[in-house]
Amino acid sequence: MASQATFEQRRRSAGLFLVAPAIVVLLAILGYPILESMMLALQRVQLNAGEIQRSFIGLGNFQRLLADETFRHAALNTLYFSVAEVVLVVVLGFGVALLLNHPLGRPGFFRILLVVPWAIAPVANAVLWKWILNANYGVLNGILQSLGLIDYYQVWLGSPFSALNFLLLVDVWKSVPFVALLLLAGLQRVPSILYRAAYMDGASRLQAFRHVTLPSMRGAVAIAVVLQTIWSLRVFDLVFVLTRGGPADATVLLNFLAYRVTFNFLDIGYGAAIANVIFVLTLLLAILYIRLVRPAEGAAR
Amino acid sequence: MSIQMSRRGMLQAAAAAGAAAALPFGLSSHAAAEEALTVFGPLPPDPAPPGAAKFSEAAFEAWKKAHGASVTYDLLAWPQLHDRMATAFASGSAPWDVIYMCGWVPEFVSFLTPFADELPKSLVDDLPASSFETVTWQGKRYGAIFTLSLLTLFYNKEHLAEVGFNEAPKNWDEFKRATKELTRNGRFGFVANYGDPAGIGGTASYWMAFLQQAGGKMYGEDGMPVFKSDAGVAALQMMMDLMAAGTDPGSISYASINDSTNVLLAGRASMMMNWPFMWNAAQDPAQSQIVGKLASAILPAGPAGSASIDGTDAWTVSKASKNPALARQLVEFYLDAEVQKRQALDTGWLPIRLSVLADPEVQQKLPNAAVVLEQAKHPYNSFVTPDFNQVTQAVGTEVQKALQGQKTAAQAIADASDLVTAIVKRRG
Amino acid sequence: MSYALYRRGGPGLRLVTIVGLVLFVVWSAAPVVWLILSSLLQQKALIARPPDLSPANLTLDNFVTVVASAAALGRGILNSLIVALFSTAVALALGAPAAYALARLSVPRANAIAFLVLATQMLPSIAIAIPLFLVISRIGLIDNVFSLGVVYLSFNLPIVIWILRGFFLGIPAGLEKAAAIDGAGVLRTFWHIVLPISIPPLGAAAVFAFVEAWNEFFFALILTRQSAQTVPLVIAAFAGQYQTVFGQMMAAALISVVPVIVLAVVFRDWIVRGFADGMMKG
Repeated sequence: MASQATFEQRRRSAGLFLVAPAIVVLLAILGYPILESMMLALQRVQLNAGEIQRSFIGLGNFQRLLADETFRHAALNTLYFSVAEVVLVVVLGFGVALLLNHPLGRPGFFRILLVVPWAIAPVANAVLWKWILNANYGVLNGILQSLGLIDYYQVWLGSPFSALNFLLLVDVWKSVPFVALLLLAGLQRVPSILYRAAYMDGASRLQAFRHVTLPSMRGAVAIAVVLQTIWSLRVFDLVFVLTRGGPADATVLLNFLAYRVTFNFLDIGYGAAIANVIFVLTLLLAILYIRLVRPAEGAAR
Repeated sequence: MSIQMSRRGMLQAAAAAGAAAALPFGLSSHAAAEEALTVFGPLPPDPAPPGAAKFSEAAFEAWKKAHGASVTYDLLAWPQLHDRMATAFASGSAPWDVIYMCGWVPEFVSFLTPFADELPKSLVDDLPASSFETVTWQGKRYGAIFTLSLLTLFYNKEHLAEVGFNEAPKNWDEFKRATKELTRNGRFGFVANYGDPAGIGGTASYWMAFLQQAGGKMYGEDGMPVFKSDAGVAALQMMMDLMAAGTDPGSISYASINDSTNVLLAGRASMMMNWPFMWNAAQDPAQSQIVGKLASAILPAGPAGSASIDGTDAWTVSKASKNPALARQLVEFYLDAEVQKRQALDTGWLPIRLSVLADPEVQQKLPNAAVVLEQAKHPYNSFVTPDFNQVTQAVGTEVQKALQGQKTAAQAIADASDLVTAIVKRRG
Repeated sequence: MSYALYRRGGPGLRLVTIVGLVLFVVWSAAPVVWLILSSLLQQKALIARPPDLSPANLTLDNFVTVVASAAALGRGILNSLIVALFSTAVALALGAPAAYALARLSVPRANAIAFLVLATQMLPSIAIAIPLFLVISRIGLIDNVFSLGVVYLSFNLPIVIWILRGFFLGIPAGLEKAAAIDGAGVLRTFWHIVLPISIPPLGAAAVFAFVEAWNEFFFALILTRQSAQTVPLVIAAFAGQYQTVFGQMMAAALISVVPVIVLAVVFRDWIVRGFADGMMKG
């Protein structure tokens, strides 16, 4: 019993020793900015006479949000966008991971191709898609017309529904690679001994997938879902380049709104309030996901 | 940081000490040499200063030598200028002496010095008086425009001739008729970038040009909006009529002017409102299929005549500058007649000096110079205020809704007026 | 049916896999092919309808222009390399031990700490940009590649910790117990047992950290001036107010992707191969 206690104690002190540097670094970089942004959210901030004037207004910014039609609109857009994106990215990412984990998908070419969409600088990627989708000289219109799928060139970014979904498509295209990579790493950690056991037991491939692959992947999928949720709620650059939130604010997402209010309108307190709404939303979703997958983690141990 | 100073630096520092002592804050990192200036501006092909864009490079070297000055350029792609500036100012620091502005003077006025009030009279007399409109705030001049950049009408001569127009449409009725008749053979009569509502060159600013053509204006003497008027509605109705007559339907999705310019340069649109810089691009065979076919004219007149908006590319001097006198002299150099001429001839950005605009060599190289000069005789207010971005965002979004058929012109203008009233009131 | 065949699947599964792989290649590559074509064509050809792909319009001008103006591009690539390698190395060096501690060692409130680490990612960078700029300009480190690299730890470190923690949680407890019985200390177990079987997730985390740092735009925009400018800013410079020289921008983007692809080629076996398989059997 005594040696067991020492073993646990040693593990605990080693653990603290290993975790401390990372926490200290994170606190040093982010501690002040995060607290400051929360303070800003409670203030009215104005640029005046060569310096910033700030006055504390309590929850005034948040009250303003409730009456702000653009904000409501952005929140709904973000909800749709994030849910759709997380589902699409994780499903497609899982599919791609399965393909690349199959013996036929093993050649290095596929893995390198996988990284490419993600490796293209987002600034260039957004402009690339803007050209592809252009209503007058875009190559997508050209291809679809020559295939006979459309009669006339379409204004893909011209109507609210279509514009939002094309933003979604482009962001999914860019986001699948990382999630696929993550899940591929997860698939490779599934011990092959389990498959062999399933084979011995006469399980069909589908049964093996359901009872061996999926349970082993729960942790990796959970990470992918949580991270992708965080990123989906933060989409900004695509909106900035492709639509500027238009037409008529149809594609305004919350983070783009936070940007616009902070940097274009210099309404820094109000912008911080919007950013903090994103923070709280993400936090709630993350807690939800983690609650959902926790039993599985316990079982795995 | 060790501070090294040349003798001359010491002397100049002493001379500037009075001004510097009065400043609210200083920047240690730039204290190394008092004769050092930092200039913040856009990268070419946007209107970059000499030495950054390829013109007057020798003259610039000579100026630096004569003034014992070193000039550091901090240049950035135009679309990112405002963000970097906003961050620096919001953090209370402006690490630049000379700063490029595009309609942002009222917004950032508290960080600027009204240096333009001290420009020599001979220079000021050679500048269009109205060019100071967008850089003046509460009676003081904080900037100097360095290129005359007004919206004019660009059109494809060949297309217009095909439908019997031997010159550009002169008024709204002709404009609408031409747009309708030109829309044929897979082409559109008119194209615009209505995708981005805000800023100079955004949807709202196009409407502002039509507003002035209709005889309206944005604000009354008390600073409150007065555009909920017949003129405001007529301006928007005109844009909607053009849309119906044959504006490229993609226009609503073109978020930058480059998107719509390409349609004109590909020969699939016949008319466009555009900036003087466009002229050279249209003559470049690598990017244009309409070389030699383009012409320019002043914007068609509405009920009150022709009118435009100001692109307002200006140089300003930071209040935090340690050497405001030298900074002012650098701007004067940028506005020197010879430099202005090279700017026009070598980069295609028109000069602002009237004498240079009238120069035969400039007019010959840039035939649109005369058109822009003519346009400058009509109103071209861009109605910049400290909350210009917010106002144009609100107005532009309402204009987009009307263009998409979600609202009537009168509805959209009434709603826009309410939004702008709230914005102006909140500013206090 | 042999086990090998069982793992590979029958003809039905093979067909599905082949169709899937073809779709995957088209989906991933089509826009990239267009990117490459764009970089090789004059703007005039790109705005034609349909785009005019005739050989007469093919040109290397875009690359020539980009390379000629490449003082900026070269410096940008160098800066991005420094920032990305620095940030990746530090994120792994600090993140892997921290993730291990949070997953396997009895750190008090490990789950809460892990969650707080993740929570730092939930506030958009737009919200922290201005305070961060204020701090960095006060200490005089604006326009410095290493301060940018440190700022990138603010997203790289938490994500690396989360990726790795998830995988460390899945390590069978018996493995560590066995090492402990053999007399190995915690640190030796981590170094000699845990890390070697974690190469795929380490590779995924490293690729993640590198690519994110390589492409980060917003912090680079506000925290650099000229000398520490990174590649994304150089690429963005091809889109101006009035003109986007699309072909040149795509050429610059293509050049900037090369180092990442080289890295992927070099480390492809690192990123992905059944190392874990073999190790875990034992």
